[in-house]
Amino acid sequence: MPRWSSAGGCVALAVVALAFPFLVNAYWLSVGVLALFYAIVAASWALLAGYAGQFSFGHMAFVSLGAYTSGLLVTTFGVPVPVGVAAGVVLCAVVGAGIGYVCLRMQGPYLALFTVAFSEVLRIVIVSENEVTGGSGGLEVPAWFDATNDMAVYYLGVTLLVVSMAIMLGLVTSRWGLFFRAIRENEDAAAAAGVKVVRFRILAFAITSCFAGLAGGYYGHYIGILTPDIGSVDQMGLVVAMVVIGGAESLVAAMIGALSLEFLVEALRSYGQWRLVLFGALLLLTMRFARNGLLALAWQPLAKLARRRMQAVEGEAAS
Amino acid sequence: MTSYLLIQALNGLVIGVIYAVIAAGLTVIFSILKIVNFAHGEVYMMGGYFAYFAIGLAGIPPLPAVLVAMAMSFVLSVLVERTLLTPLYSPTTERKGDYGILVTFGISIFLRALALIIYGPYPLRPPSFWPGVVQVGDLIMAWDRVFAGAAGVVMLIALVWFMNRTPWGEALNAVSQSRESAAIVGINDQRFYMLAFGLGGALAGGAGALVGPIYSLSPSMGLMPDTQAFAIVILGGMGSVAGSILAGLLIGVSESMFVALFPDPSRSLTYAQAFSLLILMLVLLIRPTGLFGRAHAAME
Repeated sequence: MPRWSSAGGCVALAVVALAFPFLVNAYWLSVGVLALFYAIVAASWALLAGYAGQFSFGHMAFVSLGAYTSGLLVTTFGVPVPVGVAAGVVLCAVVGAGIGYVCLRMQGPYLALFTVAFSEVLRIVIVSENEVTGGSGGLEVPAWFDATNDMAVYYLGVTLLVVSMAIMLGLVTSRWGLFFRAIRENEDAAAAAGVKVVRFRILAFAITSCFAGLAGGYYGHYIGILTPDIGSVDQMGLVVAMVVIGGAESLVAAMIGALSLEFLVEALRSYGQWRLVLFGALLLLTMRFARNGLLALAWQPLAKLARRRMQAVEGEAAS
Repeated sequence: MTSYLLIQALNGLVIGVIYAVIAAGLTVIFSILKIVNFAHGEVYMMGGYFAYFAIGLAGIPPLPAVLVAMAMSFVLSVLVERTLLTPLYSPTTERKGDYGILVTFGISIFLRALALIIYGPYPLRPPSFWPGVVQVGDLIMAWDRVFAGAAGVVMLIALVWFMNRTPWGEALNAVSQSRESAAIVGINDQRFYMLAFGLGGALAGGAGALVGPIYSLSPSMGLMPDTQAFAIVILGGMGSVAGSILAGLLIGVSESMFVALFPDPSRSLTYAQAFSLLILMLVLLIRPTGLFGRAHAAME
């Protein structure tokens, strides 16, 4: 993609994002808040799975861990909400690094299995220890702001998404991003070329778990009641569908995939359960026929057109 | 107390046989296609419903309905394999392992969502294979469980016989050892990928049909046996059918002992679900090759 059009895209996205609350009713505003939550989760999973090649199906477990940590700290010890969320992020970083460390010997499907198991064990513990966590009935947590002010929460979400995306994009365009991709393609070759594989695999888990925990804290204090379902395999499936349909090898594509799918989920509400079938089918078709995601598929002709026009302009300038 | 423990152990043995059938299917798929099939539990679920509707709509008696369910699961699996898994054999596909993980995970979500619509969220219970209970001294057991265990053993024996004593089984074994060498001696590997995936699916579907009258059916019933089957497959050693069978029995019995001996009865059932997950995590951490792993069956 040429630079001018991606800059234009950014400006257009920013304008839409900032004007959004004034254009829609309260219902779609709350959908917007959820879409922002999924966007952070999806982008961080794309960083972990698409860039670093670590197919963890336990990402929603970190969302749930961040949300419950913050919720429990705020309800039991009365700490301010931002402090609770920050504590959740720190805990997710530590646990994420731990999972990254114990998974060092595991590749591909073994890692996927281990993380699914971790995620389910965490969910089962939350369901079973209902005296602390509220179990399946849910845990009531205080809201971000005193009055139920969705617009403020929305702009907070936009800020969090922009900051998260800036950090993650900075990361993937730096040398570290190169190391992540080298490990994804071939671990032994990366190690032979001097990449500290151990350090960067652990880092990939720790960093992406931070963002999952942040998103979890944001979500928990918006939605007001936490249930163990947030860490379920079906939720993970939704995030995987978002990332794969958008494009797993680009953080921006994954983010756009999450935003559009969340709006699609609500727009198709009258179709009820058929939506999950539709997303499942879309996920399978994308995997089968357009592995780089539907956005890349749409981008390619556009980029080609732009390139041709640039060449024409340059040709005229040369003659 | 001792008779209670004995009944629990027998129940565990029956469930262990069912686990072993599911896990053996997963192993067959793994050793030939070299993928971990995340959709295996959903085929198990579909098998249960196939049997239910074969009995309810087509009026087939319960026993042949198990065979019908196996045949339909076979067809379903072959369809899935032909439409979605062929990129796994193409040399132009990049990072096949990642493709296998994501595509089977997608299939599992798709089938579960579809089942929720077609069958509804409420549990359904197919009619008994054999009503009533059998009583020996203090020990009581439903005939359904006895039957499920016996049928599972028959399936496992048939599988071992098929894999070791028939030309097709030998061809499957050859493909699992080396695709290229198998092709050189004239084995059409495409046909055996189809057969392996269908066979694995048929075993899962048969297990689903057998547990229907015991536990009743629901669209999410595949989630737990799926992770249990993974635990078994890895404990038994990836690619070893005999290992899967032994590990299945081991996990079935130890799980029901765990439920019986857990100190806090109000939580024992929810934590029982975590039991096989913890075994899975421990085995992955301590001995990823399992108890009977074959060296050549390692992931590519």
